[in-house]
Amino acid sequence: MTKNSHDNDVAFIQALAELLNKNDLTELSVVREYGEDDSLEVRVVKQATVVHAAPAPVVAAAPVAAPAAAPAAAAAPAAAATEDPASHPGALPSPMVGTAYLAAEPGAEPFVKVGAQVKEGQTVLIVEAMKTMNHIPAPKAGTVKRILVDDGTPVEFGTTLMIIE
Amino acid sequence: MFDKILIANRGEIALRVIRACREMGIASVAVHSTADADAMHVRMADESVCIGPNSSTDSYLSVPAIVAACEITGAQAIHPGYGFLSENANFVQILEDHDITFIGPSAAHIRIMGDKITAKETAMNLGIPVVPGSAGGVPDFETARKVGAEIGYPLIIKATAGGGGRGMKVAKDESELEIAFRTARSEAKAAFGNDEVYMERYLQKPRHIEIQVFGDGKGRAVHLGERDCSLQRRHQKVFEEAPGPCITPEERARIGKICADAMAELKYIGAGTIEFLYEDGEFFFIEMNTRLQVEHPVTEAIFGVDLVREQIRVAAGEEMEFTQENLKINGAAIEVRINAERLPNFAPCPGKITQYHAPGGLGVRMDSALYDGYKIPPYYDSLIGKLIVHGRDRNEALARLSRALGELIVDGVDTTVPLFHQLLAEPDIQRGDYSIHWLEKWLAKTYG
Repeated sequence: MTKNSHDNDVAFIQALAELLNKNDLTELSVVREYGEDDSLEVRVVKQATVVHAAPAPVVAAAPVAAPAAAPAAAAAPAAAATEDPASHPGALPSPMVGTAYLAAEPGAEPFVKVGAQVKEGQTVLIVEAMKTMNHIPAPKAGTVKRILVDDGTPVEFGTTLMIIE
Repeated sequence: MFDKILIANRGEIALRVIRACREMGIASVAVHSTADADAMHVRMADESVCIGPNSSTDSYLSVPAIVAACEITGAQAIHPGYGFLSENANFVQILEDHDITFIGPSAAHIRIMGDKITAKETAMNLGIPVVPGSAGGVPDFETARKVGAEIGYPLIIKATAGGGGRGMKVAKDESELEIAFRTARSEAKAAFGNDEVYMERYLQKPRHIEIQVFGDGKGRAVHLGERDCSLQRRHQKVFEEAPGPCITPEERARIGKICADAMAELKYIGAGTIEFLYEDGEFFFIEMNTRLQVEHPVTEAIFGVDLVREQIRVAAGEEMEFTQENLKINGAAIEVRINAERLPNFAPCPGKITQYHAPGGLGVRMDSALYDGYKIPPYYDSLIGKLIVHGRDRNEALARLSRALGELIVDGVDTTVPLFHQLLAEPDIQRGDYSIHWLEKWLAKTYG
């Protein structure tokens, strides 16, 4: 099994997990025949279990991929099992590259903490770029479920900053 | 010397700069849009930063995003490549204010050369030849005759208020001047409501010859000969070669010295290109590009130098490694630009590369950011690779180009490769006998 087909398998399983989530399914199983003695059998199941992902607990059910049986699938790490915060519907992506700050100035109270209720448009953190402090507003009202960056962390465009739902 | 350089570009030129950094032991930072997350420059750099969405306006052209990326990665200098922000004087000014070194000329020099009128005035003041013409409007036929004798024939009379070819008349010699002058004026009057005209020498079959220059910013500058880039379609170069097939060593030495002296006087720093129209042994300034050019590898091939390394060195305040005396031309080099475009209309053709195989062997260089499975995004330039060949002489380079094009495989999208196979079969191309109009005429004849 080459690295390339391994990567393809992982991507395939991830795509299945996304399909499962998108269409609100609970189970999906597929068999792919690549050739003699070379097949991939995948079963992806969504369970109502609580997955704990550092640093904060996730309440929402995460899609769980259960690669089964076939050696190829066994070789694939449980890639799809780890939740990607970016795909979370409440994810707040950074609108710019820069440095994230959780408080208005060093030592001050942070704008929000995990569990806080926020209004739409309320500043939840700052991203500094070129000495300009850009206030990042909450895209919608809700509860801060997770804060994924530390104070002073460099962030890229699209980095998930928080989960608000 | 710098420890870390950020490359504010994408595609093959970003790889070109990363390669120079690696050879110099300098860490490289790639910046990219979301569409380029899987691009080769991101994979090859030591670090990468996503700076914005697909649109280049919000990513590769975003000054705040690029400066912020520099700050979070601790890069001390930025190489702009070509295009994007490479000739943006405001960007260079902002970098100066942020203590980030711009690997290129000063904001002042970019500004001077970025404006057509000040560029031409500066060129004239520095002794660089420009197209001879009247100083302004020519009021009457008597003046026109005097001006005509000064600037020489053939000449063209153009409406001051004009454009689009109207109010333009050519006079091959003095006997044709009166009719040309009077009809140009009445056409200008009818078309633009203003009969003022001016006069310029008319070039019939000029070639595009450009001189590569390089300065240390302290008053020392050299030239690295010329490139002939006459084969163009809609002002886009497609095939470039060095040395120019029609340029004599004497002509090269003369125009080269004028350009190098001008750059020394300006205290120009880094790589630059002075573009000329060339006809019958005379050079006429068009413009100056204050950056590295797409076609710089042909010059690197014949002189055996690394222009990007040299750019980085002088930007860091080090001495230029070359002197005019040790720059010697060795053989001939040709570059062809491989674009993801469908012939005959050159329609952009983005898509997935199902198979990519680069040619190799003696004297072959392929600068490309392609790889198997790469998806060419539709948001950017269609240039996907440059094939550069070097031979002991022009004929060897032509044969090598034909051989290397035969080895190149780019499957999944249409490319301009078939065009080059056709061009190599043309006797004019084989002889090096072409002007800036040749390719457009050939395309019209071949594809109708």
